[in-house]
Amino acid sequence: MSSIFKKQLVQAIAIVVALVMFGDFFLGTPELKAGAGTLQNWVVIISNMALGLGAINLLHSNTESVVRKDKVWPFSAWLIVLFGSLLGLGLSGYIIKGDPLTNSLYSWAMNNVYISLGETLYAITAFFVFSAAYRAFRARTLDAFVLLAAGILVMLKNAPVGEAIWSGFPVIGNWLIITGQLPSMRTFIIVGALGLIAYGFRALLGKEPGFYGGIKE
Amino acid sequence: MAFLLLAVSLGLFYAMMYMGKRGGVVKVRALPAMEAIPEAVGRAAEMGKSVFYTTGVGGLSISNASQGPQTLASISIMEYAARMSAKNGVRLDLFTPIPDALPLMEETLRNAYELEGSTVDFNADMIHFVPEYDPYVAGCLGYLQRERPASTLLIGSFASEAVILGEAGNTIGALQIGGTAQTGQIPFLVATCDYVLISEELYAASASISQNPDILGSLKGEDFVKFGIVAVIIVGVLLALTGSRALVNILKV
Repeated sequence: MSSIFKKQLVQAIAIVVALVMFGDFFLGTPELKAGAGTLQNWVVIISNMALGLGAINLLHSNTESVVRKDKVWPFSAWLIVLFGSLLGLGLSGYIIKGDPLTNSLYSWAMNNVYISLGETLYAITAFFVFSAAYRAFRARTLDAFVLLAAGILVMLKNAPVGEAIWSGFPVIGNWLIITGQLPSMRTFIIVGALGLIAYGFRALLGKEPGFYGGIKE
Repeated sequence: MAFLLLAVSLGLFYAMMYMGKRGGVVKVRALPAMEAIPEAVGRAAEMGKSVFYTTGVGGLSISNASQGPQTLASISIMEYAARMSAKNGVRLDLFTPIPDALPLMEETLRNAYELEGSTVDFNADMIHFVPEYDPYVAGCLGYLQRERPASTLLIGSFASEAVILGEAGNTIGALQIGGTAQTGQIPFLVATCDYVLISEELYAASASISQNPDILGSLKGEDFVKFGIVAVIIVGVLLALTGSRALVNILKV
């Protein structure tokens, strides 16, 4: 299939899908609602197929890595072992009682290994936030000084010690959050939505190469 | 009312694109973050290192209503970065945890390297698919520490990994370009990156680097709609000060 034809096919499908979804949102007739529902189901099915394809691809590339004895082949071998073990444990629980979580070994691996490791990684975010805050709050310019002052005031609003020092800190902190921050954030949301509409419009007209896998007009 | 506003906006976009096509030159504001991409790739070429690109966690699916479009916009920018990398013989390593966006990313990256006839051949190993949030973040951190890329491009829909990856990039001294429409993550990218695409700029980015006047026209159209929104806000504030709710009733807020 030539790339131009492929692009036109994707564009045609995108236009039809967009028309059905727009129609459902603005008109909401039973036919359009049913059509939109079917399309949304297709999305779920295609996404799940992509997951299955991803799993096969993962095994394929890591098996190749082991066969080629790449620099990282021991990690690939370990991945294949874990993939097979967890899949086996989950499937056995599913086959026997209809729920993978009924296999206690599977639950143990998820709760005590995967979730624990995940939470540990998530917890280190705090240290990255500290160093980013230090970088942002160095008062080298007037703008940075204003940012630093606002940051300290909001911190004193949130920390109980702030109110203990002076009852005005929560008032100032709330003013900064509600009157200062909220409208700014809403501005980002409004212009972001506008940018999204324009992007979608360009994509439907075939003007966004990234939407078509890099195929230009 | 929503339909009317949408129709007017789309009409303006189309009119400006048409005028751009007929009139030739359309001037739009420059986006420093997009202008910095050649600098980021050039730095990698000079240092003989790679460019790190990530689309962010993106809600783990391209079909995610609010975050999927940001991933798509990121792929458009990745196409530009990949073509620049291919031209300069630089390897671009792409990290993503989004399984259903993989085929599109692979196609885009392959097309970019093939179209530019790069000295660095496209290799599927350039795409590092690391499923789920935690393994993805760990994988990116490991790559940044081991390979120490010259430049990092953090563009797409981010959650808390914005600050983690941004700070990790700072630690290795990489030139960093960020971009997201996730309002909660914008401050972290501003704090950690050298250049940032803020909110709507993420969607406008690929159009802004295009020399195509009709595509640039759509950005001009966006600016006109923004002027309209600002005017409505000012009128709304003035009416509210007089105690009138006329505009609120018209817009059915």
